[in-house]
Amino acid sequence: MKARVFITPLLVLCGLLASACSTKLEVVGNFPPALTAKLPLRTIVVFEPDFASYRFDSTVGKEVSVAVGQIQVELFTGLAANLFQHSSTASNMPNDGPADLILVPRVEDVQISMPNESQLKVFEVWIKYNLQLFDSNHEPVADWIMTAYGKTPTRFLKSDTEALQQASMVALRDAGAHFITGFARVPEIQQWLRQRPTSAQTTNASSQP
Amino acid sequence: MKQLAIGTALVLLLTLSACTTTTVDEYRENDISLTLGSSERVVVLGRRHYADYETEPDFIDCIGEKLNADKVVAVLPERQFVDLLYPWFEPRTAPLGLKRLAKMLDEPMIARRFKEQGLRYMIWIDGSTETTERDGSVSCAIGPGGGGCFGFATWEKTGTYEAIIWDLQTLDESGRVKVEARGSSYMVAIILPIPIIAQVQDQACDGIGRQLRSFFMGNRARETTAQTP
Repeated sequence: MKARVFITPLLVLCGLLASACSTKLEVVGNFPPALTAKLPLRTIVVFEPDFASYRFDSTVGKEVSVAVGQIQVELFTGLAANLFQHSSTASNMPNDGPADLILVPRVEDVQISMPNESQLKVFEVWIKYNLQLFDSNHEPVADWIMTAYGKTPTRFLKSDTEALQQASMVALRDAGAHFITGFARVPEIQQWLRQRPTSAQTTNASSQP
Repeated sequence: MKQLAIGTALVLLLTLSACTTTTVDEYRENDISLTLGSSERVVVLGRRHYADYETEPDFIDCIGEKLNADKVVAVLPERQFVDLLYPWFEPRTAPLGLKRLAKMLDEPMIARRFKEQGLRYMIWIDGSTETTERDGSVSCAIGPGGGGCFGFATWEKTGTYEAIIWDLQTLDESGRVKVEARGSSYMVAIILPIPIIAQVQDQACDGIGRQLRSFFMGNRARETTAQTP
């Protein structure tokens, strides 16, 4: 009984000490709808399990673990719904289905910089995506390497967890901005869009005698 | 009696704030005050595209509050504006010049959103508050018999900001306000640490906010004078 009295506070103390040396968070938040014209495309966004459960872990220096899987799924689902006339999601490559374009986002790399490492007064988050695009025949259209960056200045009494959450959200919003403003500017996508008959053209062609 | 005196001294010390020097420079395109219709609004935005600093969001909120202090200048909050115009005013995509903004407004969807929100002026704030000098030290210790701090520390903060007003109707610059606020803070510790903090950012906000308001207030004052018989 006496031993239990000492063990419980000791375990609590050990837990507190362990948590003080590591930063763990799951990024949560909301994204506003994108103000953009919809492209006349039917798309399927494939969220592979690795992408949907992506967690960045770093054991160099202070232990940092940031889960961005779920929030990425929410971001790309919203972006596709805003940018394309029709969009749906899948967890693996569809065998058939009415899609002009299949988008498979993958995380290539995540880097995090904390003030104690960089000597700068900012928390920084970089995310490098590889957005693979396929046409309806599963032929590759483009391999778009897209980088996103977010930073937040250090603030008095702001915890590392809170600062990393903010920096990650800024990086994800940046990814969204890059996706919306850059999609039609990627040369391969531009070429594919130019070569592809638009829905209106297809409708006109089919209605002609 | 002695306890009361010590208590009063402590309270006085705690409520003391260090001095701040603020310099405000202003540039106007002309002497005419900026007109703002009853349904028109102003948005105040911070520059966030630099790698080494970014304009503090709370500073932007503070300027918005100063402008809207007596309900003369209606202000659309920065966060709300950025969300409504997502992704066109993110750090990467926000226009750095009027030419880029004009091009952006050629896009009917963006122009419509500006019109829906009744936006007439956009005020860009660029700058930040930094600690420029630090000296001295305070050390604290705790033991079974109690604890306390001892030492003296001082640090200087400088806040440099520039506000640029863009007229969204004529798509030109209406004026600029530059403010530099500088102040030294102190921490004296004899058992208890007593901070005497210079409110540098608040002073900069006050200076820039008051000056920006004068761009609009002149017009309001003239309207009031014209209405009186």
